[in-house]
Amino acid sequence: MAAIVRLSSMCRRGVKPLFYQSPLLSRPVAALQRDHEQQHLPTARIHSSQALHGSDAKAASRHWTAERVLSVVLLAMGPVAYFSPGPVVDYSLAAALTLHGHWGLGQVLTDYVHGETKVKIASAGLFVLSTVTFAGLCYFNYNDVGICKAVALLWSK
Amino acid sequence: ITFARRGVCLSKPHYNALCRHVAPMGSTAKEEMDKFWSKNTRLNRPVSPHVTIYKWSVPMMMSITHRGTGIALSGAISAFAVAALVLPGNYSYYLDLIHSLSVGPYLIGLAKFGIAFPLSYHTYNGIRHLCWDIGKGFKIPDVYRTGYIVLGLSIITSLALVGRGAGT
Repeated sequence: MAAIVRLSSMCRRGVKPLFYQSPLLSRPVAALQRDHEQQHLPTARIHSSQALHGSDAKAASRHWTAERVLSVVLLAMGPVAYFSPGPVVDYSLAAALTLHGHWGLGQVLTDYVHGETKVKIASAGLFVLSTVTFAGLCYFNYNDVGICKAVALLWSK
Repeated sequence: ITFARRGVCLSKPHYNALCRHVAPMGSTAKEEMDKFWSKNTRLNRPVSPHVTIYKWSVPMMMSITHRGTGIALSGAISAFAVAALVLPGNYSYYLDLIHSLSVGPYLIGLAKFGIAFPLSYHTYNGIRHLCWDIGKGFKIPDVYRTGYIVLGLSIITSLALVGRGAGT
């Protein structure tokens, strides 16, 4: 599926193309080399990402969208919590806050934690933290004054 | 870098001058990143200096502050949740406890500001992020302008919240 076209524009003055077709590179190339001429031209290697199939292909994109939707929902909950405090808002807030935090910390993890084992351990730890957080907030909502009232009391001090 | 142009040229093969030789790789971007990290950690290579040498800009600082406030706020919520599960007594008990310490109005105001500011900043900057997500505000002057607006609003809102609490 390789497009066989001229490379002249990539070789601008002073700019070296990064990906030279060289035996030193161990990357697998899915394309068939048909032209002799190609071997003298620098080859740009791109990701065709055919490893993802079916529902997996859009999973990351959908996650991104869900993160933004949740952010907007959480934003809207601010005024709602202020003007109509109560148990429904308390539990909704507990869920939205925990999930927003869970996904946010997940991005931090993706950025700074590398290596399969480390990622697995960190993800597990995050999952435990988020679960405990949600449990604690629900417990507080059920057995104590609830989130809205707690904020109001704290601020009235 | 120039990948976008490459994408454009493939769909318009008659634009010969812009086209270049492309070879799809058999691996995904994630696999390549994992290979990079495993190879470099295995060889114990140091990471090149980046944040320590690059000149810091307002957008850079605001970005990491957004992350920092997010982590701090999330941590505070988790700490609160754990405390609710673990500590004996109820919320009012602990509120009265703090009250009885009689730390003085200024320290209480400072503590409230310490809670209000991260929340305000993260919220306003979050809206700024959502604007970027729909494609608005990417021009550099706009990035700076909206950044200063976020900072200003955060300070004003935090002061207002602290002042409001003190009034009741």
